[in-house]
Amino acid sequence: MDLFEKIQYVIATTLKVSPDKITRETSDTDLAAWDSLAHVNLMMSLEQIFDLFLEVEDFPKLTSVPAILEYLREQGKG
Amino acid sequence: MSNRKLDLEKLLALESRDALRQALRQTALPTLPQIQRLIDHAAGLAPAMQELRLGIVHSYTSELLDPWLYLAGALEGLDVKTYHAPYGLNLEEADARSSLVAHSAHITLMLLRREDLHPDLARPVVALSPDEQANLSPQALDRLFVIIKAFRAQRVGHLVVTILPEQRGPALGVYDPQSERSEGAWWSALKAGIGRRLRIGVEASMFVDLDEVLAQIGREAFFDPRLWYSAQFPFAAGAAREVSRRVVGLGAALRFPKAKVIALDADNTLWGGIIGEDGLDGIALGHEYPGNAYMAFQRRLLDFQQRGFILTLCSKNNRADVDQVLNGHPHQVLKPEHFAAIRVNWEPKTDNLVALAEELNLGVDSFIFVDDSDYECALVRRELPEVEVIQTPSRPVEIPYCLDQVSRLELLSLTAEDLKKTEMYAQEGLRRQQRQKAEGTGGLESYLASLEMVMTVGIDDPAPLRRLSQLTQKTNQFNLTTRRYDELHMRRLIGASNWMVGHFSLKDVFGDSGIVGLALFELSESAVAELDTFLMSCRVIGRKAESAFLNVLLKRLVATGVREVLADYLPTPKNGLVTTFLPDHGFAVGPDRRFRRDLITTPPLPDAAYPMAIELTAEPSAVRVVEMVDDIAVISYPI
Repeated sequence: MDLFEKIQYVIATTLKVSPDKITRETSDTDLAAWDSLAHVNLMMSLEQIFDLFLEVEDFPKLTSVPAILEYLREQGKG
Repeated sequence: MSNRKLDLEKLLALESRDALRQALRQTALPTLPQIQRLIDHAAGLAPAMQELRLGIVHSYTSELLDPWLYLAGALEGLDVKTYHAPYGLNLEEADARSSLVAHSAHITLMLLRREDLHPDLARPVVALSPDEQANLSPQALDRLFVIIKAFRAQRVGHLVVTILPEQRGPALGVYDPQSERSEGAWWSALKAGIGRRLRIGVEASMFVDLDEVLAQIGREAFFDPRLWYSAQFPFAAGAAREVSRRVVGLGAALRFPKAKVIALDADNTLWGGIIGEDGLDGIALGHEYPGNAYMAFQRRLLDFQQRGFILTLCSKNNRADVDQVLNGHPHQVLKPEHFAAIRVNWEPKTDNLVALAEELNLGVDSFIFVDDSDYECALVRRELPEVEVIQTPSRPVEIPYCLDQVSRLELLSLTAEDLKKTEMYAQEGLRRQQRQKAEGTGGLESYLASLEMVMTVGIDDPAPLRRLSQLTQKTNQFNLTTRRYDELHMRRLIGASNWMVGHFSLKDVFGDSGIVGLALFELSESAVAELDTFLMSCRVIGRKAESAFLNVLLKRLVATGVREVLADYLPTPKNGLVTTFLPDHGFAVGPDRRFRRDLITTPPLPDAAYPMAIELTAEPSAVRVVEMVDDIAVISYPI
């Protein structure tokens, strides 16, 4: 599983949507299920799956697949 | 204890929810994607899931609890359906037309914060003088109970009230307990006030103390400040799991058959080692490890007895070996008198559980079976799926806590009868012996006479309300119609002029049964009364109490002008015991399959026809002060 696929899996299971709804370009505005509360859950899932500690300041930045991909690469996760 | 790595594949291979719950207790917290897979797996196991409808009223974010509530539910066999009221504590939801009421919740969970009780609670309590603090308590309680009673007045199921603990430690730090303005002391007193007022004044409600969760997992593990300050959600994952488990656990206690009996294995459960091989001096039981863990477990079992669960022993052993420990081991905590019934033999445990159930007159679905053996646990799970199985942990240090998270061992209420239960079952054992003796001499009549029974009948008395409601919830066998009534409903029936609510208790030379029988009659204007409910606890069966009780009530109905009683027998898989109760008591079945007794042609008998003295308690007055709470009279009156 490459990094994108892993992110796709985490978003799909956390937001309870089908993985094919999540592309390399998806952002929170594209998915009704990705609301502000679901976003908090998503942050927790990313932490747990990728063994990270996210700062509150990072929460509003990580609202799209590209942003999450870039962040995880910066953290040496991909 | 929850620090072992979570092996998802291993968990997904488990085939019983009991085993899955226990395994998850001993692992690290699951991630959200793992939670989803665990829910899917647990939901597919037998028996089929039942719905638990949960309404949530909240003054902080609650939606993020959902995955944890669903997981806790699936592990219990409950399909949790949540409705989150709009954010904030507004009383608009306490309305018959609200979405909350439309959700028809089994439980309505109130997630409140301290400042909801009083604006002053947003500031340090220590800033107030002791006098000001004393004034604040009743004000906070009054405000809280306005809220609680507004919701209680609606059909919102069982009301579960919580208050979020403080995220910071006391204002005065470590000095707090010494201060005359101690925040901790003030808060404890307030919680006691909440508990007291709920117990006395509000039916079908309870206070779940989140400070207890805080104590269990620690303040730093309880709160996630990132979630609190960014999303107004206070709980870190560990707290979310534990709060959800406790709330859903009450749902399990509410929705599933009541647990009544803990059936205990002996070797490697009550003590370490095998008595038949290791001998009295060789088993682990005493003040040193691992014997001290077994002693602690036995001590814990006495707590469960105080909750009203009865203890039984179910062991494959020679009886003499086990008796040696029960009577002669210096560190054995549980003595023979702590067990309501004992089966020590070499028969299959499933047979012994069925025999214990028969002896105690209880269903096997009221049993929780505790055993260390893989074989016995698997056998009971397969052959008696209605028995809940708890496998004793293999590490002795975990044994003392192995029953602490069993939801059906939690109480929704506690009555005087619960506290004396083992004693009552032990008395029943003495009666059985007396009966066997009498069978040799004068038979049943002389046995019943030798008991010197006194029946006390109460009519429309609200004092034992909790017990009367509990009887409708718990009685399955000697029950004509198996209708369940919560306390609220029962209070209405007691107060209603067109209903007669009768109950009885029975004393004899061996002891007092407490309240064990209930009958509900609905009276119509046409001199016909309808028997809505007639039930009796099985522990007084075989003493003609049911006949005497019915007769007393019929006499009373005749005195008020009733000429005919209409009754139904609604068969269930469990109430075969009362199939012939109505025909045996002068009722004739009509073409509409309903039973009728004409009180003119088949009148009640004089009391002397029954082998007991019969007393009626004094008539309760319509309005009465039940108790003074914080100088406020709590008045109980018919609704």
